[in-house]
Amino acid sequence: MTRHSDDELRAQFQALRRDTELGAPVFGATMSGVPRQRRRAARARRRVAAIALGAATGVALLAVFGPHRRTTVLVDLAAARWEAPTDFLLRAPGAELLRTTPTFTLEGRLLP
Amino acid sequence: MSPDDLAAQLEQLHAAAFGWALSCCGWDRPAAEDVLQASYLKILDGRARFDGRSAFRTWVFGVIRRTAAEARRRAVLWRWLPLARLLLGPAGADGRPDPEAVLVQADEAARLVGALARLPDRQRAVLHLVFYEDLTIAEAAGVLGVALGTARTHYERGKMALRRMLEEKER
Repeated sequence: MTRHSDDELRAQFQALRRDTELGAPVFGATMSGVPRQRRRAARARRRVAAIALGAATGVALLAVFGPHRRTTVLVDLAAARWEAPTDFLLRAPGAELLRTTPTFTLEGRLLP
Repeated sequence: MSPDDLAAQLEQLHAAAFGWALSCCGWDRPAAEDVLQASYLKILDGRARFDGRSAFRTWVFGVIRRTAAEARRRAVLWRWLPLARLLLGPAGADGRPDPEAVLVQADEAARLVGALARLPDRQRAVLHLVFYEDLTIAEAAGVLGVALGTARTHYERGKMALRRMLEEKER
């Protein structure tokens, strides 16, 4: 048998209840605070509504007056040149001869 | 039920409801008073409606439990999110038992409150409802919104843990 039987526990709780009830606020005092709670709840609801409205207005303004055009970066493909880092391996002496049309001259004059 | 009838019924339950609010708020008296007022406000404004599916007392205790849980969540939010103070107003009960702020002065009662504070929430709630408020385990299950078997398990485990703690404190 444990020392604190159910009856003993109940007796302790009931003693606690008596102590608590002695210090309990009277019903009228609790009810007199209800209107203050009501005002506080209404104030909190108004604040939440105002912040939600403000956020919605901000989003709407941004949607209407915000920057519509997406900023695009134009790249001049003609000016763009990309070289692979290994391109130098393909550079052989005299390779330009393969890419140019040879010309023949005689005494400074271009032959047809 | 008219507002006057509701107020009359609440007045009859007031002392027991205050004890339950204290238990839900970790014996923090100002928090319990706030929670009780907020619960009465919900009931009188019709935001919590009694549908007659349970006893009036069980229903009122359920409203108080939910209101205390809301206050606890708000307090946690308030602690971590400074903006929440703007939105929701000042913090309420945080539900953590504060041994320094307990209501009772008597040694034995203080020992009991201290031991209860160390129990898990559900176990503490079931023991309070059964031993303090004289509810049956089934009614306690109704207040807490749990199955009867679950409430019985919390009751048995809570009783064992409470006895052990009280015996340790006596040594």
